[in-house]
Amino acid sequence: MDTTKIIDSRGAACPGPITDLARAYRNSKVGDILELWATDKGVRADTQAWATKTGNEILDVKEDPEKIVVKIKINKR
Amino acid sequence: MGSKLSIILFSGTTDKILSAGVLSQAGAAMGSEVNIFVTFWGLLSFTKGEKKMMLPKEFEHMGPALMQGLQKEHVKSWYEMIMEAKEFGAKVYACSMACGVMNIKREDLDPIVDDMVGAAAFLQKAEGGQTLFI
Repeated sequence: MDTTKIIDSRGAACPGPITDLARAYRNSKVGDILELWATDKGVRADTQAWATKTGNEILDVKEDPEKIVVKIKINKR
Repeated sequence: MGSKLSIILFSGTTDKILSAGVLSQAGAAMGSEVNIFVTFWGLLSFTKGEKKMMLPKEFEHMGPALMQGLQKEHVKSWYEMIMEAKEFGAKVYACSMACGVMNIKREDLDPIVDDMVGAAAFLQKAEGGQTLFI
């Protein structure tokens, strides 16, 4: 069953969020959705770079006053 | 994947070591193989014991403000960053020649160091990847 997992990296400075994402990625499987919550502004470009590098897909990026939420679909393990 | 980041960490001041920490951790999170080769002044922070904050002379007066900023932004210490990189397989090597010159023995090195190697061994590990001299 595919699952959505929330990774709360709010408050962590770069490269904390991308490390938290990489850590969650290790325990994920193809089809999973990882939802990364962060406050570090670099997270938009960093998650894009990470997804390109690892062969995964950014589904959506949303920003509200408290956080940036990036949804990543795991296509490759 | 199959990419590789190798860092020659020559500098002994905390600002530069912190940069090496950030790039190591980011590289490891990106799935790259990460190798850190610590040499000369860098080695002073890779021996056992307390890690002291050291800034270049011209920026020393900015120390307190920098500390405040790092705390405010919850930036981890370079040591924690390298430990996180190691969690993804990063390796830390101490330069054998510089250790000899500075009279640092294998047992004096912090446990964060994986091995003591020579320049040729490091170059061989770094071959075909990106290499930074910090």
